[in-house]
Amino acid sequence: MKLLFYMFLFVFGNLSAQQLVNGKVTDREGKPIAGTNVYLEGSYDGTTSTADGSFRFETTEKGQKTLVISYISYVPFRREMDITEMRNLKIVLREDVQSLEAVVLSAGTFSAGDNSKASVLKPLDVVTTAGVAGDFIAALQTLPGTQTVGEDGRLFVRGGTAEETQIFIDGLRVFQPYTASANNLPSRGRYSPFLFDGITFSTGGYSAEYGQALSSVLLLNTIDEPDQSKTDVSVMTVGAGLGHTQKWNKTSLSFSTSYLNLAPYLELVPNNKTAEFTEPYQAISGEAVFRKQFQNGLFKAYAAYDRTGFEVLQPDINSSDPIRFNLRNKNFYTNFSYKGRMGNGWSLNPGVSLSRSNNDILIDNRSINNYENAANLKLNVGKRVDNRFKLHFGAEYLVQDFSEDYHAQEEVNHYLEVKPAISAAYAEADLLFSKNLAVKVGVRGSYLDLNDELQISPRLSLAYKLNKGEQFSLAYGRFFQLPQINYLKYDSQLTSENATHYILNYQWTKTGYTLRAEGYYKKYDQLVTFNTEEAGYGSHFWNGGEGYAAGLDLFFRDNTTFKNLEYWASYSYIDSERKFRNFPKKATPNFIANHAASLVTKYWINNLRSQIGFTYNFSSGRPYENPDSEGFLNERTGNYNNLSFNWAYLLSRQKILYFSVSNITGAQNIFGYEYAKNPSKNGIFERKAITQAADRFFFVGFFWTISADRKSNQLDNL
Amino acid sequence: MREFLYTCLIGLISGFTANAQSQYESGMNQAFELWQMQKPVEAANLFERIAKAEEDEWLPYYYAAQVNIIESFSMTDKSRKEQQLKEAQDLINQAATFSNGGNVEIDILQAMLHTSYLTLDPSVYGMKLSPVINNIYNEALRKAPDNPRVVLSKAEWDMGSAQFFGEDPKKYCDDLQTSLALFDKTSSVEQFYPAWGKERVETLIARTCKSN
Repeated sequence: MKLLFYMFLFVFGNLSAQQLVNGKVTDREGKPIAGTNVYLEGSYDGTTSTADGSFRFETTEKGQKTLVISYISYVPFRREMDITEMRNLKIVLREDVQSLEAVVLSAGTFSAGDNSKASVLKPLDVVTTAGVAGDFIAALQTLPGTQTVGEDGRLFVRGGTAEETQIFIDGLRVFQPYTASANNLPSRGRYSPFLFDGITFSTGGYSAEYGQALSSVLLLNTIDEPDQSKTDVSVMTVGAGLGHTQKWNKTSLSFSTSYLNLAPYLELVPNNKTAEFTEPYQAISGEAVFRKQFQNGLFKAYAAYDRTGFEVLQPDINSSDPIRFNLRNKNFYTNFSYKGRMGNGWSLNPGVSLSRSNNDILIDNRSINNYENAANLKLNVGKRVDNRFKLHFGAEYLVQDFSEDYHAQEEVNHYLEVKPAISAAYAEADLLFSKNLAVKVGVRGSYLDLNDELQISPRLSLAYKLNKGEQFSLAYGRFFQLPQINYLKYDSQLTSENATHYILNYQWTKTGYTLRAEGYYKKYDQLVTFNTEEAGYGSHFWNGGEGYAAGLDLFFRDNTTFKNLEYWASYSYIDSERKFRNFPKKATPNFIANHAASLVTKYWINNLRSQIGFTYNFSSGRPYENPDSEGFLNERTGNYNNLSFNWAYLLSRQKILYFSVSNITGAQNIFGYEYAKNPSKNGIFERKAITQAADRFFFVGFFWTISADRKSNQLDNL
Repeated sequence: MREFLYTCLIGLISGFTANAQSQYESGMNQAFELWQMQKPVEAANLFERIAKAEEDEWLPYYYAAQVNIIESFSMTDKSRKEQQLKEAQDLINQAATFSNGGNVEIDILQAMLHTSYLTLDPSVYGMKLSPVINNIYNEALRKAPDNPRVVLSKAEWDMGSAQFFGEDPKKYCDDLQTSLALFDKTSSVEQFYPAWGKERVETLIARTCKSN
């Protein structure tokens, strides 16, 4: 009887009386969350929470079950309990701090990449900027914190010399990032932007993973996976290029070669007298990237080779004849890296880079022949504990072998060699306390074998998000760098130079707009000083210099206000003095302009199928030393102005005609003066202005892409 | 004794359910109904529940992703849209895992996801994603030249690009006609297998190809 009752109850119960599950979902502030998916794991039973966050559904499930509540950008809730307890539940979902809206450590960093949260620049910007002519270094010089040093062309960041910026490809050090060039003629970035898809430019306070840079690091990442197989052909007024990408199932190979010869161009548009090429600039270069995907990782190999040669006659204030400068440069660079996922949140990233470069230089009758072999070995290990805590640590070894032969007919000949090696280890932790507060703490220790020097550099950065569009970041760090090879080759007992950075950053973003303001203070110490006119064999060197740089950088970008028009504006103010090299006292060095501004515009004209762009660069006058006047480095040159224009016209989808001209107005920019070593008869030092090699530079190119889909083009490489 | 009886009863009850529409079928039908009733969130959630409960069916994942992608096109909040697409990408990856490889229907969905991303900010994503999308469609067309949705989606994408480059989109009208003819020829083999697209072709033909 009892049994029958049970039977009845069971059948009946199963048909009509289902179990009710109900409750309410809110966030931590108690606001209801609508649209969450509420269900019993492994069953169809569930529902979607309504506008007031409440949910209710009935289920035939029995006993212990797992209730799951999931919603985009929240950590899914799951709890095992008896169905009968799933009544009037109050469920609070925690925000997923890894979601895209989370705060980002942004002090000191500009990045160009796909990731919209951190990117100030788009990958294309690096190369579609007027006046840049394919040199990604020149594009970075439109960002605040950089200085335009027209006669040099390299990156000068926040009062630092060009040597204080280090460049890395796939995390590994590059040793000769710039093309060879003569005195007072600008050099360019050696590597074509064609093979890179991510660029991070840090103007200070960077991660403990990077060392041996006092001012700045520039991180370039080669493309992980190319889109498709294609061939790129370019014909330009200054040369020609050929690139090809071949894609197979798990592997791909890209290469890009170019040949530049300025002879035809110089026939048409001769240079100013400051640089008369007796043998025009010629360069042949090739780069290749090979990639292979594995089950749990990616292997990449990158190699670049280039040869440059030219001879130029440059007038000199101390001689009646111009000085003949002849250069042959050969440079080879390769790196291998592997990014592997080991499971359980571990990742392993070993890599090695090797470089060999050789310069053969003739300056009138003096000859200089130097070699540099260098290597960087690195192992980086990462561990993701959870969404809020990540750790990475690693070790690296950096070795350089520099040798130089110097011959002058009636002077002393000498041979110099120096082989510094640095071993370093670092560890860094990334902590996300909430969606609004992130902290990165790191430390780096390095050991320099030349003089048994051990350095410890702490790094710290912190970001706090005020609201949806605004955040503050802070960064602090100590940075050490080996003195330049140019000094070290004369005195290998010099110790590392160092700098301390303090950065405060404010960022405001809204769809289509970015505003950044960053103030910084940087203190230099142990800078190399020497006691002769030029650093040389007989100089006495010591680490007796110091200095500071303080300033404010502003950046504003707007892609939205005007249709088809994008622009960005930057302004930098800097106050900096240092005692270094052979300075008799603290002064502002000649590469620093107190005010610098630039405006970059890009306008797409649909019915002309054209993108046109203007770039305007301004810098206030730079210091120069006038031996006729009192004091040291007391005089200032005139302001620097440069307005450039470019026009990319799509002949068809795969054929582009490109035209650009730099310094349209032909502004006569003067970068400084060279003074005679001795005063003339009337007691005055004669001088010669250091000017631009040419007032304007014209460039016309035709770019053709051949791919199976007939749609890609090289617009992004211009 | 009691245990025996319980076993009998459970057998009896599960027999009942199996007799009627299977749970999978009724679940899927209910989700499609929700979608038709303009309740995309509810529909996507149900597809996802089915997907997770079934474990080895690619279709519920496919539809959950599709609802999310279609909805994402009209979203204006950039970060929300990005999150939704990230979610959809996970669903696509799941669908691909449970489908027997080389499924062009999933490829189309992947291309649509990229297209939605592209509309987020064409000047950021255009240069990067266009070749990726082109590549997916070319591959899909090579694998399944007779799939009407492949022909349709590729033609629609090509028309959009043509418009961007100031070319006449009408040159892809032939492709639309091909797609339409293929729709008439094909009949669905598998239950709930994707069958959408015919109305879209007709709309596109009427909009672009019929004038003057």
